[in-house]
Amino acid sequence: MKAHTLKLSILPLTAALLTACGGSSGGSAANPVESTTASYTVQITNLTHSQPFAPAAIILHEPGFNSFIDGEAASVGVEQLAEGGSPTIALSEAAAASEHLVSIEGAGVGPSTIGNVETVSIPTANAANLRLTVMTMLVDTNDAFTAVNAIDVSNLAIGSSMSFDAPTWDSGTEANTETADTMPGPAAQGASGLAEGFNVLRDDLLDQVHFHPGVVTSANSTDASAEGLSTSVLTEADRWDNPAARIVITRTQ
Amino acid sequence: MKLRAIASVAALSLAAMGSAHAVQLTVNITNLTHGQSFTPRLLVAHDATVDLFEVGVPATDALAWLAEAGVIDDLQAPASAGRNFQAALGGVPASAGALVSNPTNNWQRFGGPLAPSTTSADYAFDSGDFEFLSLATMLIPTNDAFAGLDSIRIPTEPGTYTYLLDAFDAGTELNDELNSARTDITEDVTGLPLGGYAVPGVAGGDVPTRVADLGIGSTGVAVQASGSTIVDGTDGPVHIHRNVLGDTDAAGGASDLDSRVHRWLNPVARITIVVPQ
Repeated sequence: MKAHTLKLSILPLTAALLTACGGSSGGSAANPVESTTASYTVQITNLTHSQPFAPAAIILHEPGFNSFIDGEAASVGVEQLAEGGSPTIALSEAAAASEHLVSIEGAGVGPSTIGNVETVSIPTANAANLRLTVMTMLVDTNDAFTAVNAIDVSNLAIGSSMSFDAPTWDSGTEANTETADTMPGPAAQGASGLAEGFNVLRDDLLDQVHFHPGVVTSANSTDASAEGLSTSVLTEADRWDNPAARIVITRTQ
Repeated sequence: MKLRAIASVAALSLAAMGSAHAVQLTVNITNLTHGQSFTPRLLVAHDATVDLFEVGVPATDALAWLAEAGVIDDLQAPASAGRNFQAALGGVPASAGALVSNPTNNWQRFGGPLAPSTTSADYAFDSGDFEFLSLATMLIPTNDAFAGLDSIRIPTEPGTYTYLLDAFDAGTELNDELNSARTDITEDVTGLPLGGYAVPGVAGGDVPTRVADLGIGSTGVAVQASGSTIVDGTDGPVHIHRNVLGDTDAAGGASDLDSRVHRWLNPVARITIVVPQ
């Protein structure tokens, strides 16, 4: 398949429709009343070999809001999330938008691990036209993050799920030096570097959000090919390919 | 020809899918890569007899011209006349970038180099009453990589549709990753300088949208220079590109590309198609 839509990876899971329980003891045959709250769970699976995911920004919102747009400069919130792994400012930016419904910080997820089930609730009326944004940093990188960007999760029936395979973005805010001083994750910490996260300097090739080219790593840096980056503290094991994450949203109420 | 149309809005009715009528599409393309530019885009609306490329099938001369040199029509490169997509699709554009209408297709060349991490202008494209849409654009600097949209069924339901494009290898040239501006190496037998159609070498290293200069002095990746010559070959049929290797030595190593700049992970492009009311 050569051309796939953004939503190609939507796999409607089997709907396990909840049946309304009619066991009212008082004998009053109350009609089922639709709840005023729609609840969802969001679960992130880290599909990479060795890239831990930082705490995630999980945002439910109405159409019209984007935390980031390809080809445009990243907000400070996305820069903070992508360089340092903190979703705090990105969540604040989302909360300030008129389209914002609810957002939470999700727990980090280890490599090749299924993450926690995070629960969010919105007014039922908003379920008909709903967007999901999830962003989380690959922490053994300078500024890579995996995300779903304002994806359409409207009209999800109670008990059904949608699954998205997520690519990896480069926030374009930090040069991909892969050094121990410039990445916050365990690879840099293990190499006894400064392991700096966020830095206000924007020194990537282009200060524009785009898809990540992958990490070069130090593999093959000393042979004749000179392919690798000798100053990188990453190894070939820190590479990944797309998709980097699977994000499943399930409506539970 | 395969039917790989994938609608991005849910539940297009079969009835809607079946009807075709003339529509003025609005199309734009976003270059999602870190350090690859795109050559001018070929947009083609066509019937089931036309296929720009097909994975598993050797590239046509027309695709080779596009993937190795970024050439679509005679106006771009007179030397390509008779073997480029203008010849394959038919017709003569009235001016550079004009729409060409043929019995089996409408085609048009759009834009100039598109820099990494940027979105093109909106292209107004008359898709006639054709059922399918294809697009191709070369990634530069590479030997023969291109991003392609292969025969999606044009949605008839008004709306905005989004498609992600992968990078393919035309397979018509070995991926030596040698700078086409080099004069110290020429193609074996022909003695031609590197680059362009049918001679090895990465094209496009000097385009205005480059984000880093190419190296020199490397020995070659998929094929190595021997002395001052290099023997070209093919690595087809058309397939998903295995990415460039690059290196970190601008004056040596295996590649004249930069492994910190020119690599990508698929997908490499997003196109958005607006079908009007």
